[in-house]
Amino acid sequence: MSSSPVAGPAPTGPTSGPDTGPLGQPAPDPSRGPGRRAPRIRPVSAAARPGPRRRVLRHWPQYLAISPYYLIFSVFMLFPVLYTVYLAFQKWDGIGEMQFVGLQQFRFLWDDPVFWMSIRNTLVIWVLSTVPMLFMALVLAVLVNSTKRFTAFYRVCLFIPSITSLVAIAIFFGAVFSNNFGLINAILRGLHLSAVPWMSNEWTIKLVIAALMTWQWTGYNAIIYLAGLQAIPSELYEAARMDGAGPVRIFFSITIPLLRPIILFSVVISTVTGLQSFTEPQVLFGSDASTNPNSGGPGQAGLTTLLYFYHQAFDNNDFGYGAAIVWAFFLLILLIVALNWWLVQRKERRP
Amino acid sequence: MDLSRRRFLQAAVLTAAAAGATAACGGGSASSGSKDSKNLTFWYWAGGLSDKVVADAKTHFSDITLKTSVVGGDFKTKLLTGLRAAQTAPDITGIKGEDIASFLPNANRFVDLNTVGAKKLAPDYLAWKLKQATTQDGKLIGFPIDIGPCATFYREDLFAKAGLPTDPTQVSAQLATWDDYFKAGVELHKAVPKTYLINNIGSVFSMIVGQGTRRFIDEDNKFIGDQDHIRTAWTTAVKPYSLGIDAKINDNTWNAAIGNGTLGTEIGAAWHALDISNAAPGTKGKWRVASLPGGPSNLGGSFLAIPATSGNPEEAFKIISWILSPENQARGFTDAALFPTAPAAYKLPALTGGDAFFGGQKTIEIFGPAAQKIPAAYEAPADAAVSAPYYSELTSIEAKGKDPDEAWKDAVGQAKQIAQRQGVK
Repeated sequence: MSSSPVAGPAPTGPTSGPDTGPLGQPAPDPSRGPGRRAPRIRPVSAAARPGPRRRVLRHWPQYLAISPYYLIFSVFMLFPVLYTVYLAFQKWDGIGEMQFVGLQQFRFLWDDPVFWMSIRNTLVIWVLSTVPMLFMALVLAVLVNSTKRFTAFYRVCLFIPSITSLVAIAIFFGAVFSNNFGLINAILRGLHLSAVPWMSNEWTIKLVIAALMTWQWTGYNAIIYLAGLQAIPSELYEAARMDGAGPVRIFFSITIPLLRPIILFSVVISTVTGLQSFTEPQVLFGSDASTNPNSGGPGQAGLTTLLYFYHQAFDNNDFGYGAAIVWAFFLLILLIVALNWWLVQRKERRP
Repeated sequence: MDLSRRRFLQAAVLTAAAAGATAACGGGSASSGSKDSKNLTFWYWAGGLSDKVVADAKTHFSDITLKTSVVGGDFKTKLLTGLRAAQTAPDITGIKGEDIASFLPNANRFVDLNTVGAKKLAPDYLAWKLKQATTQDGKLIGFPIDIGPCATFYREDLFAKAGLPTDPTQVSAQLATWDDYFKAGVELHKAVPKTYLINNIGSVFSMIVGQGTRRFIDEDNKFIGDQDHIRTAWTTAVKPYSLGIDAKINDNTWNAAIGNGTLGTEIGAAWHALDISNAAPGTKGKWRVASLPGGPSNLGGSFLAIPATSGNPEEAFKIISWILSPENQARGFTDAALFPTAPAAYKLPALTGGDAFFGGQKTIEIFGPAAQKIPAAYEAPADAAVSAPYYSELTSIEAKGKDPDEAWKDAVGQAKQIAQRQGVK
C-alpha cells in the first residue's frame, strides 16, 4: 500500500508557503510519502475535518473504484474462510441442526489412515510434478531468451497450456494413458514392448497426474523466468564472456544467482498450486463408480487431500469433517512454504 | 501485508456493507411466499425425467406456470444449497436414489407426501421403493420416478462361441447362482481369451449387498458392516478376481471395453442398457438380458420431492402424480430408459415390445418380475459413506494386488471409523 501511517497532525489546509506553490515541490511532510503527488489546492471546507478521516474521504473515488474487489473478496472469500473455522468444530450435514463437537473432528482426523494417505499422495505428486516442471521451465526460458526470431510466437506457445481448460486436458490425458486403449500403450505394443497399466498402478497413477500438472504449468513458469532473465543486464554477460567464461559457467554463476528471487517466487507459487491438486484426479478418476465417487482411482492412489476433503464434505455431507481436513491441510501448506522459503533464502545469506 | 488498525476498520466496514448489499438483494427477489402460488419452479437433472413428459405437464396444467430447470453438475450439492432459503428452493425437485437416505433425517425440510394425496396412490407403486423414501415415523418425502432392477447383460455371440447357452431363459436357469455364473465366466474366458466376465469386482459386491435385506447399518443405527452378510458378499466378489475373469476396469476405458468385446457380460440395472447401447452402438443385436445370479437386486432409481417451502404443495403433488402416472412412466421408459415404479406400466405396449438392441428380446420379461421381488432393505442415512471403504479396498485388490483378507480388515476398520464420525453406534 502506498499510504503511509499517519503520524502527527496533518496540515490543516492550504496556506501560503513554499509547500503549496503550484510548481514547487512539497516540503517533507510526515503524512506524505516521498514522491506523493496529492492535489495541493483543495476547498477550504474540507480542511476543517480532523486529519486521518479527511485523508480517507479525500480519496473516496479511489476507494470506491477498488471497493468491488473488497466486497466480492469479503463475501466470497473472507466469510467462507472464517466460516470453515467455525464449521471445523461442528458436526453438520448441510441442512440439519449443527452440533458443537469441540475438537472431535480433529481427533478423528488424527486417527484417519485415509487422511494420512491422502497427504502422502499429495506430497508425492507435488514432488513428481514441481521438480521437473521448474527445471524444464528454466531451460525453456533460457532457450527462448536466446532466440532472435519468432520470440512472440514461442511465448504464446508456452502460455497456451496454462490457459487451456484443465478438465479438457485431464480428459485428453485419460485417453492417452488409458490402460487398454491408450495412445501410449498402443505405441508400446507397436514397439513390441509390454503395455504399462498407467491408470491402475499405484505409482503410475501419480506419475500421470504429475505429468499432467507439469504439462500445464511448465510454460507458465517459463514465462516468469523469461521476464526475470530479461531483467539481467547484458553487460554482466559481456563481461563474463570477455573473462573467458563458457555458457555453463555463465549459467550457474550469473543467471542462477541473479534469478534467485524469481525462482523463490515460482517455487512458492508452485508449492501452493501443486499441493492443491484436485481437478486432475477428480476428472481422471471421478466417475469410476456411482457407488463410490471421488475415491481417487484404483487403490485410492490418486486421492489428494483436497479430493478427500471434497469427498467427505460433498459426497458424505460431513461438512464439519471437511472443514477440519482443509484447516489441517492449510497448516501443512504453510509449514512447507516456510520451509521452502528458509531453504532458498539460506543460501543467499551465506557469504 | 501488514494490517494496520485503519485497514482493519476499513475491511470491517466493507464486510458490513457487503452483508447489507447481499441482504438487500435477497429481499428484492423474495417470492410471494403465499401457499397457493401459480408459479412453480421445478428442478431435475438431464436424463432424470422424460423431457417430453415434462413439456406436456406444462401444457396440461395450464393454470400454473411451471418453470423447469435442468440442473447440471453435482445435483445434491446444489439442492442442499438451494434448500437453505425459501427464495432459492424449488417447489418441486428431483432427488437421486443414492441420496434419498441422506435426506431422511431432515424430513421436516420436505412436505410429507402422504398429507397431499400419496397415501391413496401408494398401492399402485412398488412398496419397497416407497419404503426407501419413508422415514421411520412414516413420513414420505419422495415419490418414485424410476427404479434400477438389475440383470445380467450378456453377449449372445460370445456365449455361442464358448458353447454356453444363448437363450435368455436358459441362461437365467443355468447361471442362477454366483458360482454358476463365475464357472461360465471361466469357460468364456478360455474360449475367447480376450473376453472377461465382469467389469470390476466392486460391481459384484454392490449387487450382492443389494440382494440382501440388511446393509451396513441396521434400524437401531448400529454398524453391522463387519457381519456375515457383508463378509459373504465380499468373499463372493473377490472370487472372479482370483479366477482371472475380472477385467479390472476402474477408469473411463469402460466405453472402449464394451465396444470391442473385452466384456462378455455386464451386471447392472435396467437403465444400464442405455449406457451399453450408447457406448457400443456397433454391437446392436448381439446383447441379451438374463436374470441376475442369486436373485433380484436394485441399483439407483430416483424420486420427486416437494420442499417444505413450496408455494403450492397440493398443486405440486398433482403435477408429480401426473408426470409419474403409469402411462407417462411408460413414455419415460421409451424416452430416457427410466424403468417404471408403477407395475401397471409393465403391461403397456411401450414396455412389452421387443428391444432391437437386444435382438428383439422382450426385456420386460426379465426386469418386470425382478422389480417386484426386490428385497426391502433398510438404508441408513450414512449407508453410502460407510460403504465407500469397501469399494476402495476392492479396487486396491485389483490395482495393487492387495491381499483380500488384509483389504477386508482395512475396509472394516475404515468403515467403523466413518460410522463413528457419522454418529452411528
